[in-house]
Amino acid sequence: MNYLPSDYLPIIVQLVLALGFIVITMLVTHNIGPKRNSKLKDEPFECGIEAKGDARTPISIKYFLVAILFVLFDVEVIFMYPWAVNFKKLGLFGFGEMILFMGLLLAGFYYIIKKGVLEWEK
Amino acid sequence: MLSIILLSIFGIVVLFLGFQKSKNILLPATLLCIAIAFAANFVHWNDAPGLYFKEMLFENRLTMSFSAIVLLSAFLVVALTRGFADDEAAQPAEYYAIILFSLVGAIMMIGFDNLIMLFLGVEILSVSMYVLTGSDKRNLRSNEAALKYFLMGAFATGIMLFGIALLYGATGSFNLTDIRGYVGTNSFSISTLLYVGLLLVLIGMLFKVSAAPFHFWTPDVYDGAPTVFTAFMSTIVKTAGFAAIYRLLSGSFEGIYNFWWFTLAAITILTLVVGNITAVYQQSFKRMMAYSSISHAGYLLLSLTAMTAQTPDAIVFYSLAYSLATVSAFGVLMAVAREKSVQSHENAEDFEAFNGLGKRNPLLAFVLTVSMLSLAGIPLTAGFWGKFFIFGTIVERGNLIWMLIVAILMSAVGIYYYFKVIIATYMKDGETGALRVPPFYRIVLIVSTTLTLLFGLIPKLLS
Amino acid sequence: MLTLLLILIPVLSALAVLITKNNSAKQVAMVGTLFELGLAVAVFISFEPNATQQFGFSYPWIASAGIMFAGGIDGISLLLVMLTAFLTPLIVLSTFRQPYKNASTFYALILFMQAALMGVFTAADAFLFYLFFEAALIPIYFLAAVWGGENRIKVTFKFFVYTIFGSLFMLVALVYLYFQTAGLSATVPHSSAITALYKVGLDAQKQGWIFWAFFVAFAIKMPIFPFHTWQPDTYTESPTPATMLLAGIMLKMGVYGVLRFLLPIAPLGMEAWSTTAIVLSVVGIVYGSIIAIQQRDIKRLVAYSSFAHVGLMAAGVFSQTLNGVQGALIQMIAHGINVVGLFFVIEIIFSRTKSRNIEQLGGITQRTPQLTVYFMILLLGSVALPLTNGFVGEFLLLSGVYEFNKWLGTVAGLTIILGAVYMLRLFQKAMFGGKSSLTEHFADLSLSERAVLLPLAIMVFWIGLYPNSFLKLTEPAVNNLLQMVHY
Repeated sequence: MNYLPSDYLPIIVQLVLALGFIVITMLVTHNIGPKRNSKLKDEPFECGIEAKGDARTPISIKYFLVAILFVLFDVEVIFMYPWAVNFKKLGLFGFGEMILFMGLLLAGFYYIIKKGVLEWEK
Repeated sequence: MLSIILLSIFGIVVLFLGFQKSKNILLPATLLCIAIAFAANFVHWNDAPGLYFKEMLFENRLTMSFSAIVLLSAFLVVALTRGFADDEAAQPAEYYAIILFSLVGAIMMIGFDNLIMLFLGVEILSVSMYVLTGSDKRNLRSNEAALKYFLMGAFATGIMLFGIALLYGATGSFNLTDIRGYVGTNSFSISTLLYVGLLLVLIGMLFKVSAAPFHFWTPDVYDGAPTVFTAFMSTIVKTAGFAAIYRLLSGSFEGIYNFWWFTLAAITILTLVVGNITAVYQQSFKRMMAYSSISHAGYLLLSLTAMTAQTPDAIVFYSLAYSLATVSAFGVLMAVAREKSVQSHENAEDFEAFNGLGKRNPLLAFVLTVSMLSLAGIPLTAGFWGKFFIFGTIVERGNLIWMLIVAILMSAVGIYYYFKVIIATYMKDGETGALRVPPFYRIVLIVSTTLTLLFGLIPKLLS
Repeated sequence: MLTLLLILIPVLSALAVLITKNNSAKQVAMVGTLFELGLAVAVFISFEPNATQQFGFSYPWIASAGIMFAGGIDGISLLLVMLTAFLTPLIVLSTFRQPYKNASTFYALILFMQAALMGVFTAADAFLFYLFFEAALIPIYFLAAVWGGENRIKVTFKFFVYTIFGSLFMLVALVYLYFQTAGLSATVPHSSAITALYKVGLDAQKQGWIFWAFFVAFAIKMPIFPFHTWQPDTYTESPTPATMLLAGIMLKMGVYGVLRFLLPIAPLGMEAWSTTAIVLSVVGIVYGSIIAIQQRDIKRLVAYSSFAHVGLMAAGVFSQTLNGVQGALIQMIAHGINVVGLFFVIEIIFSRTKSRNIEQLGGITQRTPQLTVYFMILLLGSVALPLTNGFVGEFLLLSGVYEFNKWLGTVAGLTIILGAVYMLRLFQKAMFGGKSSLTEHFADLSLSERAVLLPLAIMVFWIGLYPNSFLKLTEPAVNNLLQMVHY
């Protein structure tokens, strides 16, 4: 199969349209709306308590750990899909490999538990 | 290939050893692991070159030599981590495990026969290094270094990956032999993608070995990282990186030498000049060593540019000489700075830290002197023969003598900053009072210095 | 085998000195150097005066590349080996009255230096030669930089960078030549034996390049104008034993290198450039002498005189005549003896008066007639009075240069007149005249000082009266060398 440059035309059209839409809407909204600045309007919130301090308050590292671990194990499980589909073709060798893989994964899991990452209150 | 498997298993084992009450077992265990891997590395020494893991990895005497250098330097560096577990916040088991894993990456880079493997190796090594760079968690500069290294490194990896994709696009294979076949058979109709791809992969790799103009991360990262990991980075990453570049260029792209030699030559010259000239102006020993490592990358590139039959031997010897000297230099710095930083936190790693070392501890002073002489390439040290072999390859190539002239001028510049250290050691007066060195340090330093001198006298020990 | 021992014994005695205590280091060093001298005398006696290399040794070093650990002694080497073996014990002895801190390191470095020098003068492999050539620099650098005078750090650093820079060019030339050599066998493609380099035979243009690469290295070492700027400062700032090593022996490495490499390897290059080289050397002679006349610091004065003398040696070697080369060889010995003696005399004066300023001295004659006599003998040798060693060398050198070019020979002849001017001025101002406050209590020579000066004085006359005992040893080797140059 050979692609000619013209075959890519739809992609370019799509690109131009997408960019054009953004540029045009931004231009239009900036220009047709009225502009009234005041001190009050520049505040982050118009009512409630006055904003103070840094937005970057420390959050417990545990949230991140759990999130990362979730991503990690989630992604690794994806490997099982292609393996399951080809299970018969791969035969015993594939089975052994997957055992090894799961073994390593479980070792990691065990490590996490031993480290106490999943203990929420400590 | 046994060493890769062993190291992976050992990494996990060390990770779990960390749950033991006593942390004292970790260091000997890690050293033992590396020693076993070192021995396992030579299992196939007498066999014919072979491919492993479905043609993913290649092994011959050259790759084994490179792996041996990497493992030897790792052994020495790890031995210097004594006193690591003293810090409450430190997590030695994790660090040792990461070191072991990173060695797997390094060996994969050395012996890759498939671009995917190269990418995996680079990533394993780099990610480990990002973590280790930031391992001094409470130190702002360490954090800064880690983030900088990570961002720049990730960017470079991206470029390299793009290059690999283009190479695949051009040749239809990730396999080095197939790519070589493509270059050989289509020598008149090579796709432009291949050229672009090669350049991008090279850029990615040159970033890892910190060749100019891709070196801007080096001084900050070397300076910010804990000294022991700086030593690790400047020896192992560099050796593995050069082994990989050599394998890439000689394995697949010798046919288009006329295309890449000039690019490489220009980068070499730039690296030599930038590294050496900038090193002269440094006040901090670690930053000086960072720039010196850039300049040594230049010498290694010199030999790659020549790409003669002697090039692999030259690179092996040079890497070994450079690694030994670097390990001892950083070892001395650690021994000196450790005491210094207790007294005052400022400037513990400047040249002044070495003032009066000749009187305070003659052994350390001698080790430092030998290592500086070796880095400067003065005879009777391994560094001299390293330069000698490198220069030999250039002369053999014939038409690149002009590069040699630049290299020589830059070696003379190099002497200047290496001697600053020696002068501080012997001729400046600093603190008095003997400096105590832990016995572990002493052994490592004596071993690396002895090897440096031994290879300086009898370079043929390595054959 | 004897040759290898000549290199190994200083190394071993250096290691022995390193492990001895500071206060007995000098005795151990003395024993080591005397042993070495005995060995050298044995070599001297059993040497056959012909052109071959004798007492050779050869071991594989990097065998697969044809690089050998090989050495041997021919007539040219012999003289320099003798010089080194003779001067080193005297240099060690000269330090007996002067306590040096960290004495064991100090003497060990001197002995390492001796080993490297022996290696330079006996190496039969180009890379081995280079290795020793550079290795000699390290001990002398530390000797000068650790035990030297006030400005030592800057000065010695300049010295080090200069010399390394020069020799790197030589390294390139050596590597280049090495790749042009024929191999020993099918598996060993090249050879780095010096004799193999002789057979390379490049065309005239390439030889020109080779000439300059070597010339820069050796010219810095000697030094020849305009590569000399490191020399006066380094000589002045170094501790006297180091100055003696530098001026007495190390400077000869440059001349030896020219003889061993430059003449036979690049004869066509010599043909094209030797006039330039001689002109530079002669400029150095006149320039050095004129500056020496104006010096007040007596150590500096002798440093400049050494610069002038070496210019003449270089001119003689570059003239490629039998007289020139023979003269250079004999003058190397003579100059080594004279300059070591002169520096020692200066050290004696300085250690007693704490001054090297020529204006502050005077009247020493009255206090120590012995020193006066020895000083006079060395001085006369240095100004080339007939019957002294300097005369033989300078006469042959001048006739060699004259043979090459009458005008240059005439200008070079100025060295004798100018040399007499500055040397006699030195003697007059320092030794005669009224006593100054500094020289009032000038103590007479001690036993160890006499033991240094006496052998030197004997040698001044021996070479002056019977130079043939040396010349006949070197003549076959020099003839052999010149044959290679002219064809």
